[in-house]
Amino acid sequence: MKLISLASLFKSRLGLVGLSLAILSLLAACKGEERSNPVYRIGYMNCNTEPETIARFGPLTAYLSEKTGLKFEAVTVNTEDFEERFNQGEFAFTHTNSLLYVILKERSGLKLLASEKRGQFGARSAGTIIARKDSGITTLADLKGKRLVFGPFMAPTGFVAQYDLLLRAGVDPEKDLAYYAVPPGSYKHEKVLYGLLYGQYDAAAAPALDLEVMTREGKIAADDFVVLAQSVIIPYCTFGVGKDVDSKVVDKVRKALAELTPESTAEFAGERVKVLKAAWVDGFEELLDSDFDPLREMAKRAKMPPYEEY
Amino acid sequence: MLTRGLFDKLLWLALLVLAAALVLVVVRAAGSSESAGSKVLDKAMERAMTYQSRVALIRELYGPVETLLQAGQDQSALLKLAEIEKTYPGEAHGQILKGSIQARLGAIDEAVASYATGVKLRGDYVDKENPLSRRTEIGRVVESGLQTVSARLAANPDNRTAQATMKQLYYLQSRLAGGCE
Repeated sequence: MKLISLASLFKSRLGLVGLSLAILSLLAACKGEERSNPVYRIGYMNCNTEPETIARFGPLTAYLSEKTGLKFEAVTVNTEDFEERFNQGEFAFTHTNSLLYVILKERSGLKLLASEKRGQFGARSAGTIIARKDSGITTLADLKGKRLVFGPFMAPTGFVAQYDLLLRAGVDPEKDLAYYAVPPGSYKHEKVLYGLLYGQYDAAAAPALDLEVMTREGKIAADDFVVLAQSVIIPYCTFGVGKDVDSKVVDKVRKALAELTPESTAEFAGERVKVLKAAWVDGFEELLDSDFDPLREMAKRAKMPPYEEY
Repeated sequence: MLTRGLFDKLLWLALLVLAAALVLVVVRAAGSSESAGSKVLDKAMERAMTYQSRVALIRELYGPVETLLQAGQDQSALLKLAEIEKTYPGEAHGQILKGSIQARLGAIDEAVASYATGVKLRGDYVDKENPLSRRTEIGRVVESGLQTVSARLAANPDNRTAQATMKQLYYLQSRLAGGCE
């Protein structure tokens, strides 16, 4: 075997070595740029489907990039995966329902950024328990032995508030109802109301906001149902941010959200769209963490996360 | 040649003509002022009738809402209002009722916004003498709102929702004090 020195090897392959060094320096430059111009990912909780989430919040994410000069990306996340994916560092900003905010705040130090305003209670909504007007059911006590449908398990005004209302009225959903159900798949909130309207259930746990929206859209009529009980109003969907994100970045995002008006637009999927209209949102409000205390109390009484007991 | 007698006759005739003309002018003037007065009366009557029919329409239109409110069904009343609003989006009475329910359910910013919209549309609701007056109720919300919202603003001066509510509270306060738009 003929031995060749390292220097002569380099000399004979000068072209290749040069090309490798060029690629290496390019890679280093890219890495440096990524460090100096990072991408901030926002985890959006899927309400129904991923395409719907992107259609709603893609323009908002584009607006944040345009307004702050920073780069944001939307990530769609299923409710049950949210905590794990946030803790794995997949995204630094969160857009969730208020219960997930409380869970991430208590367990992972998530900080409050801004809350969505929509409907007659602004940044808040309430949970209601309703029955058909012709059902003869007039009080929560009448629900013993009856069929009830809840919204999604983690929904503050579709499950937690109503579970708490029942417990406080002396009706244990686990023992006193004939059974309770949660509709499968997406569009759970609509399924809850239609399930009640068409007689599949005797009563339903409906967010006040859903009742309002579906009444305005003419899908249901105010006279269809009787409201048996209603919770206090609690915060609605909320933006949060990881505790390690630079405070200057946080301030920029908070300001951009607060400055949103119905006329604000952003470039999304090749067209200029109205940000709030696309997101089904009226605006954003800066709540205090203490504004979430009534929800905390409900979750504690219902033994819901982050206060679950087994 | 004009004799003294003829001159007197002519004088009396002239006086008679002038007196008749004067009477005619006075009678005509009295007649026209009478018709102007009746025009004013017509307008006042028209206004009263319009107002009465508005009050009657409101009572009929919002009757079901009032019934729900009396039964303590605040949420159902809000839904009924949302339905009515689709047909009568600019009606002040709906805004006032909505504000009243929102205030009771603890949504202060939204209640103040609804009251301010209602009062901007119709000043009747802060008029002490008006049968539709909600002056006392609005005054109570303004008084407690000024305290809570200013405390929120002191803690976070950049809170835009609180800033907007404060402006509306000052607007309502000035209308309650008798100020104009």
